[in-house]
Amino acid sequence: MALWGMVIDLDRCTGCQACVMACKAENNVPAVGAKEANRGRTISWMQVLTEVDEHDPLGKVRFLPRPCLHCDDPPCTRVCPVYATYRNPEGIVAQIYARCIGCRFCMAACPYNAKYFNWRTYLTEGPGQNPDVSVRSKGVVEKCTFCHHRLQKARERALAEGREMEPGEYIPACAEACPTRAIVFGDLSDPDSEVAKLARSPRAFRLQEELGTRPKVIYLTEGEARG
Amino acid sequence: MAEVDTRDAILLAPIEQTGRGFYWALALLSLAILWGGIAYAVQLNEGLGVTGLHQPVSWGFYVTNFVFFIGISHAGTLISAILRLSRAEWRRPITRMAEVITVMVLFIGAGQILVDLGRPDRVMNVIRHGRYQSPLLWDATSISAYLTASLVYLYLPMIPDIALLRDRLGKRKLLYTVLALGWRGTKRQKKVLNRAISVMAILVIPIAVSVHTVVSFVFSMTLQPMWHSTIFGPYFVVGAIYSGIAALIVAMLIFRKAYGLQGYLKPIHFRYLGQLLLVMSLLWFYFTFTEYLTGYYGGEVEEMKVFWGKFTGPFWPFFWGMVLTNFLIPLLCLVRLHRHSIGKVLTASVSVLVGMWLERFTIVVPTLSYPRLPFPGGVYWPTWVELGETAASFALFALFYLLFTKLFPIISVWEIQEGREMGLKEVEERLLTYLPETAEGGAHGS
Amino acid sequence: MVRPHLVVPDRTVKILQWAMAGGFILFVGAIVTWIIHLIRTAWQLRDVPSASIGISLVAIPVFLVLLGVVLYVVWGLLTDRSEA
Repeated sequence: MALWGMVIDLDRCTGCQACVMACKAENNVPAVGAKEANRGRTISWMQVLTEVDEHDPLGKVRFLPRPCLHCDDPPCTRVCPVYATYRNPEGIVAQIYARCIGCRFCMAACPYNAKYFNWRTYLTEGPGQNPDVSVRSKGVVEKCTFCHHRLQKARERALAEGREMEPGEYIPACAEACPTRAIVFGDLSDPDSEVAKLARSPRAFRLQEELGTRPKVIYLTEGEARG
Repeated sequence: MAEVDTRDAILLAPIEQTGRGFYWALALLSLAILWGGIAYAVQLNEGLGVTGLHQPVSWGFYVTNFVFFIGISHAGTLISAILRLSRAEWRRPITRMAEVITVMVLFIGAGQILVDLGRPDRVMNVIRHGRYQSPLLWDATSISAYLTASLVYLYLPMIPDIALLRDRLGKRKLLYTVLALGWRGTKRQKKVLNRAISVMAILVIPIAVSVHTVVSFVFSMTLQPMWHSTIFGPYFVVGAIYSGIAALIVAMLIFRKAYGLQGYLKPIHFRYLGQLLLVMSLLWFYFTFTEYLTGYYGGEVEEMKVFWGKFTGPFWPFFWGMVLTNFLIPLLCLVRLHRHSIGKVLTASVSVLVGMWLERFTIVVPTLSYPRLPFPGGVYWPTWVELGETAASFALFALFYLLFTKLFPIISVWEIQEGREMGLKEVEERLLTYLPETAEGGAHGS
Repeated sequence: MVRPHLVVPDRTVKILQWAMAGGFILFVGAIVTWIIHLIRTAWQLRDVPSASIGISLVAIPVFLVLLGVVLYVVWGLLTDRSEA
C-alpha cells in the first residue's frame, strides 16, 4: 500500500507561485474576486506563505509553499462530526464535499490553516473547468487533495492496459508545474523512491513537528545561500 | 378542588388578563426577531460570506453566542436544584423562574449552532453519520440530555399549579387538564411527586456540569494556543453559573416590575442572590487569573502572541472591558448590600451579562486571529447580519419566556403555600436537630 | 372567573395523557437507538469506536433514568384512586 508524500526544497523555491496557479486551474479553485479577497476569503489550496525577517525587513523574504500537509495523525479528522474529512489508507486526507455541513471545526483545529471555506457561491459549473474535479457549493470546506483524481485516472489507465501503475504516472499539478523542481512527490513507503530518499536528507524537517501531527509534506531547509 | 389563598391571586393575574404592556413588549421583540429573520434569510441565500467571518477567523459571533446562551442555561436548573437540595426556604419564589430560563435558553443556544452551519440543510448528517470522537457530538448528546432533563425538572413541580389552573381558570381547559395528570393533591400523589422532584434535582446537576464542560472541550480539544488548556472544563462551568445567576436576577427584576411581584421577590432574595453572584465573581476571577498567569509565566511563543493581542493588541478593549464589567463593577456593587441592594444587584447583573459575553468573545476570536504559521491575518468585525442574529436571539428568548408567563404562573403557587403552611415548622424541627440536647429534652416546638 | 359548560371529556384527557407517556418512551427509545447506531457506524468504519462506547455508557443510562422518572410520575399520578 502506498503512502503518498511530498518533499519541498526551500532552497529551490523562488516564490514564483506557479504551483498555486497550477493547483487553481487543475482543481477548479475559484477566484473569489478582489472584494472578497480583501475580506480575507481567498481560497488557495496551495498557498505560498511569506515570512519577512523582523530584524532585516528589507532583506530576503522566505517562501513557504504550503499545501495540505496530509498528516498521518490529523487534528482535523478527529473533530469532524460527520465523517466529511478522513484519512484514507494511502495516507491522503480526503474531503467529502457532499457530506460536509460547514461547521468549520476542522478549520479551527488545523494548525497549518490548510483548510478553506466557501463563504459564498464562488463558482458554478461551466465550460473551461477541469471535468475530473467537482465544483464545490457554498457552505462547505475544501483543501488540497494531492490531486487525488489524478491518482484515480492513472490507476484506471493502468488497469485498462493490464499493468501496474508506474511511479511518476501520478503527480499532483503543483509538483508538475514547479519550474525549479522544488516539489517532489511520490510514495514515502517505497525506500527507493526519490521522495523517500529526500525525506531522509539531513536538511529535512517537518513543520511544527512538536504538535505530533506527523505531516507527510517534508521541507528541506535553505542551505548555505541563506546562511 | 384546589383552594387558592386570595393573597396569591396576583400570581395568576398575568394568565387571566393581558395588559397593554404585553402588546408593547410583543411589538418590540417582534421587531428584533424580524431583523434577525431577514438577516438569516440573507445568509441562507448568499452564504456565510454576509458575516464578518473569514480566514483565519472562521468562528465569531455565532459561536460566541452559542457558548454564552448555553452558559446562561446553568442558571436555572443548577440554582433551582442546589437550593432545593439544600432546602433553602428562600428558593420558593425563584425556582420556576430559574427553570424556565434554562429550558428556553437551551433552544436559543442550540439554534446558534444551526445558524453557524454552512450547510444547515445537511444538519441531519449529524444524526445519520455522527462521529462520537468529535466534541460537537458530545455537545449534541449532552445538550439533548440537559434539555430533556430540564423540561422534566420544570414540568414536574408545575403539576400542582396546572391543576389549580384547571380548576380555577375557564380557558384552555383541555391543555391544563391533560397536563395536570389527574392531580388531586392526595397523600400518595404528593409522595410520588416529591420523590420524583428530589431524584431530578440530584440528576440534573451532573448533567448540567457535563454540558458546559463539553462545550469547553470544543476549544480545549484542539491544539490551538490559549485554547488547549486543561482548565477549560471547570472554567466554563464557573463562568456559566456566573452568567446564569446574573440572567436570573435580571429576569426576576423585570417580571417583579411588570407583574407587581414585590410581595414575593423581596430585597432579601436579591441580597442572597447578590452574595452568590459575588462568590461566583471571585471564583471566576480566580480561574481567569490562573489561566493568564500560567500562559504568561510559561512564555510559549505562540501563546504569547495571543496573550499580548488581548492585553495590548487589537483585542484590548474587549479584554479590559471584560475585566471591568465582569469583575471590577460587580465587586464594587456587591461587597456591601445593606442599602440600595436591588439597584446594586441589578447593576452588577447587567454588567456581568455584558462581561461574560465579552469573555466568550475574547476566548474564541483572538486565538483564531493569530495562526501559528505566517498566514495572512485579518481583523474580525461583525456585520449587520451577525448583530441582527444576536438581537433576534435575545428577543426570541425573551418572547418564549414571556409567552410562558402567560400560560403558567411564573412563581410556584403551591410551593409558596407550602412554605407558609409547613416551612416554618420544618425549619424549626431541623434547627432543633442541630442544637445540643437541653435538660428539658426538646420541649420546644413540634 | 370560571366559565361554565366547558366540559372536557374524560376519555380524551386520559388518552392524551397516556399518549404523552408513550411519546416520551418513543423519544428516549429514539435517542438510545441513535446512540447505538453511531456506535455501529464507528465500528464498521473502524473509526475510534471507543469514543462512542464510552459516551453511550453514560448517556444511555441517563436517558433511561429520565424515562423511569417520567413514567413513575405519570403512572403514580394517573392510577391513584385514594381520597384527596
